[in-house]
Amino acid sequence: MIVQLASRVVSSLLAVIGASIVSFLLLRIAPSNPATLILGQFASQEAIDNLTEEIGLEKPIWTQYWNYISGFVRGDWGYSYSLGTDVRSLLGAKLPATIELGLYAFVFAFVGALVLALLATYRRRPLVDGGVRGLSFLGLGIPPFWFGLMSLVLLSEGLGWFPGPDGRLDSGVAPPRDITGLYTLDALVTGNWAAFGDALWHLVLPAITLGLAPMGFLLRLLRANLLDVSREPFLLVVRSKGISRWTAFARHALPNAFLPTLTAAGLVLGQLLAGSVLVEKVFNWPGAGALVTDGILRQDFTTVQAFILLSAFVYVIVNLLVDIASAAIDPRIRAPRSVG
Amino acid sequence: MGRVATAGRVDRGRRAASTAGRALAFVARDPALAFASAIVVVLVGLAVVGRLAWQYDSLTVDVENALEPPSWDHPMGTDGNGRDVFARFNEGAGISLLAGAVVVGLGAIVGGLIGVVAGIGRRLTDSAWMRVLDAILAFPPLILAMAVTVGLGVGVRSAVLGIALTTVPYYARLLRTDILRIRALPHVEAAVALGATRTRIVQRHILPHASSAMLIQSAAVFGYAILTLAALGFVGLGAQIPEPEWGSMITDGLQYALTGQWWIAVFPGLGLLAAVTAANVFADRARDLLDPRGEIAVARET
Repeated sequence: MIVQLASRVVSSLLAVIGASIVSFLLLRIAPSNPATLILGQFASQEAIDNLTEEIGLEKPIWTQYWNYISGFVRGDWGYSYSLGTDVRSLLGAKLPATIELGLYAFVFAFVGALVLALLATYRRRPLVDGGVRGLSFLGLGIPPFWFGLMSLVLLSEGLGWFPGPDGRLDSGVAPPRDITGLYTLDALVTGNWAAFGDALWHLVLPAITLGLAPMGFLLRLLRANLLDVSREPFLLVVRSKGISRWTAFARHALPNAFLPTLTAAGLVLGQLLAGSVLVEKVFNWPGAGALVTDGILRQDFTTVQAFILLSAFVYVIVNLLVDIASAAIDPRIRAPRSVG
Repeated sequence: MGRVATAGRVDRGRRAASTAGRALAFVARDPALAFASAIVVVLVGLAVVGRLAWQYDSLTVDVENALEPPSWDHPMGTDGNGRDVFARFNEGAGISLLAGAVVVGLGAIVGGLIGVVAGIGRRLTDSAWMRVLDAILAFPPLILAMAVTVGLGVGVRSAVLGIALTTVPYYARLLRTDILRIRALPHVEAAVALGATRTRIVQRHILPHASSAMLIQSAAVFGYAILTLAALGFVGLGAQIPEPEWGSMITDGLQYALTGQWWIAVFPGLGLLAAVTAANVFADRARDLLDPRGEIAVARET
């Protein structure tokens, strides 16, 4: 067990190092000289040469990599020339908005998938099941950025039920006192009901848009697992003992169906991270994802690079935690595998 | 229909026709599969015939007729520069379908080769390749595709390469696991005992048994590739705006959608939804058919 855990941690560490090399090299083989990008195409050759030396671009690539990574670990994530600030404080200021959106999207995806999967498998009515399967295909096949736009056209512009793409709060509403940076939580803690309602209102459409793909994915997984488990003999035994269908499902089938879903948590996180880049652009959500799309448009890749590296770190760590958690819950996973 | 047309031909023709007829009947029994097949036929038709036969060009600017709503003359309206959205939609269908096919091909070949090398190689080779794949898998797929496109320079070609790279580890791991499983089967052992060469064993005794998993994977990858290409186009890393790619068409329509000109962004989105859903339905049905565990279900249904 300990040996397995240690080797898993080591391979995760290797993956992170590999990922940092991959992302660093990818952004350094870019055909244009970063110094030219920063100074603009009309800058003098002398100025470009000076800046090239200042950032250390003439050094060998491995030295550059080492400088970047050791700086990253120390908290120096680079400097955004187009925005005139260092990347870490930029990302730090924008991350709470992304985290809040991601949390609500996750809650929507999880609850939606759970309810729909139960609906599909509880009585096994073909029509309901077919409808639920169709919904999961829709969730996986719909481009999130397009769905967000359509929801804005219909529900915001058309019917006026939800606010337009103008960020986290109406311009007339002051943000709550900054504690965590998550507006709904801060407003709740400080009892600022006006800000709470408005922040929640602004979250509905972006959260549904971002949560749609993970919902489709989780729904497919949960439905299949629930179907598998509900065919198991032990469930028949439970039912024959006179336990109601609902209790049998809630107490015996669901916990068994959950474990394979837990292992998908890493994938869901990836969907949320990548999706935030797309969805924040549609809704003008002032988060880290929007910072990335802005960086791409301005050709200022320091923010993009930091975001990519950060996502890789978070992604690997979550996958590692998921592995450890599922080994802790299910003894079958702890046993050494024959193949692999 | 195929059966009637070829009746009276040689035996081989008749057998082929009845296979086609059986395939048609199989598709017709399953509404979702029939729908997905219809989508593919329509999209391929639009991409090939529609592009050649339609009266408008996808890039010709006609400012006098800008932002016209859908009409008989412009079935999907015109965009902010008066370009015909239908012509752009058709060309976008071609770009997306082609990109999907290229990603599937590249991913399957490169990933498949790595899978074979890791699966039949020594332990050290195997774990070295697995570490390399781990580094690629450490990124959320879209984020890695973004990084590649930034590195290679924006455009459809870099986007396709980036997306293909993200699919490589999935193909490689799938094939490797399959090979490790098949390698332990008795018929491979028998072939080894008879002195067959390594190449022959891989070609004749291992790969044919591994192909169904690759097929299922490819259908899913096709849909993923189309969606990701559009996402990259949407954030400005894939196709650039006048280019009629569905994702960049949606970006272009973003500014008009909220002022009432919905048609510029709606149609490419519908095209994406249709294409990706069709690919997902095919992947799902292929899984039901080819996955040994699913065989029982199919046998029960028929």
